Amino acid sequence: MKGRLALVRTAVVLTLAFALVTPSVAAAGARSSIIAGFAAKAGKPLSAARGKAFFTGKHTGGKPETPTCLTCHTSNLRGMGKTRAGKAIKPMAVSANPERFTDPKKVAKWFRRNCKTVLGRECTAQEKGDVLTWLATQ
Amino acid sequence: MAPHISWFSILFSASDIHHSHPTSAKAVQQIYVWDRFVRLFHWGLLVAVTLAALSGFWLGATWIRLHVVAGLLAASLVLLRLIWGLTGSHHARFSSFVRAPHEVLAHLRELRAGVAPRHIGHNPLGALMVLMLLAVVLSLAITGVMTLGGEFKTPPLATLSYDQGQFAHYVHKLLAWGLGGLIALHVLGALFESLRTKENLPVAMITGRKALRNEDADFPSNHSVRIRPVLTVIAAMVLFSGLAGWAGLPGGSGHPPLPHAPVSPSAFNVDYASECSDCHAAYHPSLLPGSSWQQLMAHLDDHFGEDASLEAQTAQEISDWLVTVSADQVDSKPAHVFRKVSPAHPDAISLTPFWQKTHAAIPKKTFSQPPIYGAFNCAACHADAATGWFFPSNISIPKPPITIHGNTSLVSVPSAIVEE
Ligand code: HEC
Ligand code: HEC
Repeated sequence: MKGRLALVRTAVVLTLAFALVTPSVAAAGARSSIIAGFAAKAGKPLSAARGKAFFTGKHTGGKPETPTCLTCHTSNLRGMGKTRAGKAIKPMAVSANPERFTDPKKVAKWFRRNCKTVLGRECTAQEKGDVLTWLATQ
Repeated sequence: MAPHISWFSILFSASDIHHSHPTSAKAVQQIYVWDRFVRLFHWGLLVAVTLAALSGFWLGATWIRLHVVAGLLAASLVLLRLIWGLTGSHHARFSSFVRAPHEVLAHLRELRAGVAPRHIGHNPLGALMVLMLLAVVLSLAITGVMTLGGEFKTPPLATLSYDQGQFAHYVHKLLAWGLGGLIALHVLGALFESLRTKENLPVAMITGRKALRNEDADFPSNHSVRIRPVLTVIAAMVLFSGLAGWAGLPGGSGHPPLPHAPVSPSAFNVDYASECSDCHAAYHPSLLPGSSWQQLMAHLDDHFGEDASLEAQTAQEISDWLVTVSADQVDSKPAHVFRKVSPAHPDAISLTPFWQKTHAAIPKKTFSQPPIYGAFNCAACHADAATGWFFPSNISIPKPPITIHGNTSLVSVPSAIVEE
């Protein structure tokens, strides 16, 4: 009797754990394939260090009031950012927001818009891949 | 020594004829002229009209709820007075004081000649004033309800068009000034008559009594009227009108969730609802005319200094949808006032002439600081911005967050969270 109960309990725990892990596994898969897409078009292998330098560094060519990605996303990547219009932006760090970088359309849209705002041009596949590689580990 | 009058006796004594304080040397016989309802009506109307005038003329649009409740109260009092004018005590009845025009003219001639008698009830001119005041207050209530119906689709006249509502609003304002003038004349008239006949008319309207004079030998007896049922009816009506006025307005607890919403936010185009709420709350499509939306959607890459670009097809679909539900298609007040855009910036709601005029009194600084951030953030002050109604009683300007050590405290974190 006791052994049966323990078995059932283990099964329940395992099922729960699986149910909790599955979506984030799926999210990780979607994210990897987005990053792989950039890697395929990038010249050099993707680098988290380069991504960090790009995301946190100052740029010219874009709007003077937004010289860096941190203007809106802030240097606390696990915390909330804020748009110019005052709306909150969910955390960029994947550890704080597992849904990040899982929708290819969304990723494309915001890279297009925000690169123009900060750098005055579209970002290269290399730059995008580097940034995502770094943020995925944050 | 003045006759002893307690508030209790004012409200609850019922006899027709009163003697002043029995120990008084020469006892003046008093006649009971204004019954309790007439007096309650008179001073109640004064309070209701004062509140309505205060909120209507001075306090601004955000006091609309008080204004409507005060107006409904005044109207209920007038309706009761009309009934009382047919069923009440002698001096309360229209038949006892309403005079034919030639009698009013005769009264005027007597006044000119200095031979006009003193009247126990209303004199012919006073009676005319009573009728005009009743008519104007009632017309104010009717045009007020019409304004709410036409401009804000508030029951019971929600089927009126905005233009009809606006016309009623115009008449409402004219009547309000007219009422002010009539009240001034009424006060002057009462003072004049008090001085002329050496009788304190305002006090008589409080006590209900006037001193009996020799020439009043055969004054008409003011038969007693049971007052309690009347008081009950008044209380019920006052309560009813107050509650109806409070709850029946948009945003009120008894108002169904915007039955006449121009376009319900739940019926928003899916792409519009998601793509246009990334950086600010999605604007209700009835806030700009179709031509403005088309212009805005064609220049998303330079959107108020921001890159809000979308894939061409998505942008086109949103644009086409916006045109079908734009201000051109909707009969709400915001839709009407924002149809007239700024020629230089046809895509900015906050640069339309109406917006500039209505928000001119708000300091520039209020807009720039959190949690508002800018004129574009309608929902920060208008709780019903998402519905497109912008009803005045749903306006409240939020306070800036408390600043601790140069950092804004948690209070400033906006409640709306972006998906991105
Ligand atoms: C990338 C961020 C962003 C996106 C996405 C965006 N907007 Fe805006 N929008 C802004 C900013 C910033 C302002 C102006 C703020 C200011 O006035 O300082 C603005 C202003 C506006 C205004 C004018 C408000 C006023 O003050 O009168 C309208 C209308 C508007 N947006 C409509 C839209 C529509 C429609 C969409 C979807 C196609 C959209 N916005 C998407 C950032 C954005
Ligand atoms: C800082 C707060 C604030 C912001 C932000 C704001 N408003 Fe207002 N608005 C007010 C106040 C206060 C009034 C009432 C002024 C008065 O007393 O007449 C008002 C009045 C109005 C009215 C008239 C209501 C009526 O029927 O009398 C409309 C319509 C309106 N605002 C639309 C807008 C729109 C659209 C936006 C965004 C583009 C906006 N407001 C942003 C505070 C604000």
